[in-house]
Amino acid sequence: MISLCTDVGHLSLNKQGEKICGDHIEVVGQGESATTVVLADGLGSGVKAGILSTLTSKILSTLLANDMTIEDCVRTIASTLPVCKVRGFAYSTFTILRISEDLQAEIIQYDNPQVILLRDGKNHDYPTQSEKIDGKIIYKSRISLREDDTFVLMSDGAIHAGIGSALNFGWQREDIIHFLETVYNREFTAKTLSTMLVNECSTLYGGAPGDDTSICTVKIRRRQPLNLMIGPPANPVDVEKMMSLFFSKQGRHIVCGGTTSSLAAEHLGKPLDVSLPLYVDPEIPPTARLEGVDLVTEGVLTITRVLEYAKNYLTDNDSYTDWSYKKDGASLIARMLFEEATDINFFVGRAINPAHQNPNLPIGFSIKMHLIEELSDCLRTMGKRIKVSYF
Amino acid sequence: MIISICVGSSCHLKGARRVVEQLQPLIAQTDANIELGGCFCLNNCTEGVCVKLDGELFSLQPEDVQQFFETEILRRLSPT
Repeated sequence: MISLCTDVGHLSLNKQGEKICGDHIEVVGQGESATTVVLADGLGSGVKAGILSTLTSKILSTLLANDMTIEDCVRTIASTLPVCKVRGFAYSTFTILRISEDLQAEIIQYDNPQVILLRDGKNHDYPTQSEKIDGKIIYKSRISLREDDTFVLMSDGAIHAGIGSALNFGWQREDIIHFLETVYNREFTAKTLSTMLVNECSTLYGGAPGDDTSICTVKIRRRQPLNLMIGPPANPVDVEKMMSLFFSKQGRHIVCGGTTSSLAAEHLGKPLDVSLPLYVDPEIPPTARLEGVDLVTEGVLTITRVLEYAKNYLTDNDSYTDWSYKKDGASLIARMLFEEATDINFFVGRAINPAHQNPNLPIGFSIKMHLIEELSDCLRTMGKRIKVSYF
Repeated sequence: MIISICVGSSCHLKGARRVVEQLQPLIAQTDANIELGGCFCLNNCTEGVCVKLDGELFSLQPEDVQQFFETEILRRLSPT
């Protein structure tokens, strides 16, 4: 059986001049097969809208993840949201996407632009039924999922992009579908697709969004294991044990660090080929080749850069334009960790390199250990399953 | 003649890239058959950038490349 999971990535633009986004996205069970995502857009903008949408999405996702019915959820929302003083009612639109263990998707939509489903990179129309709950018209859909199915949830800021400036009537749902079909690439992560769409909206708004704009992409993908080894073991006796465990693992293999890759080359009985070092990025040491290993890089300096990319990926994701195509070690690792892998095993050796224990060098032992911890945390936040073994 | 330059973390920080970039054009000027490559740790990290020339270890600062080229590489190319 193919093991599938979800990849969720979202990004929001704030309305110009607002420090707080009036849209809120809540994800429960990111990276697992059962996932609930709620995108809510609060009335107005700024703090008030932010409170409304945060409450709405938190309440809905928590109740739904605990199997409460949609009717009860909507009633709870209606009776708990604070009432707007100016307008006299409580209001926040929402889109709910609930994916079950057996890969059935349930979409519940209230007043947000209709969720787009891409199947094999093309728009896939799905049946929708309307229902009146508490005076609100709610649209419901049920869909059986396939690998690579991609849902795009959005707030109305997306379809209003460009109104009155770049376009007369804003950017219609059809235009967004057309855009998504054009840029679609099977390799893109949910976050990447969300980033591209948000950037396009930002351009249409001329860099000054007239409304909070949020995109949340949910992609059904296959689990993909990856193994990364860094540093020789603290006790040289454990080299063979560490190597055999590492190379017995399924999936791709990355080896980081000069000494570590020399040991790996010895274990595999293959030459380590550094040939003429190619400096793609002046700050990142060159990569090497070793048969049986997918990628060989230097250690601490490369991973430091990967960590920078990981932190950025979780926020603005604007360094995507660097690591998405460059061929230096850090970019290559970033693509394999962020885009390809879902299950990552770190093999961390705790040997201390005496030459690195120079206070003038930013590559000491504690720095290395700290790097891996921080990187694991970032990857967990991306929804990946992480295992770290120390040797 | 085989020249290997360490591209590990420590040597990288000491300027391995500048050593490689300076040596490349100097070597290209000669017609000699010189193989310039990279390698990982040569266990001599405490000094400068590690360079191995036909099995012999050297420790270079990026500023010393020209001198190293003249005294070590050229000397070996023209046996007198």
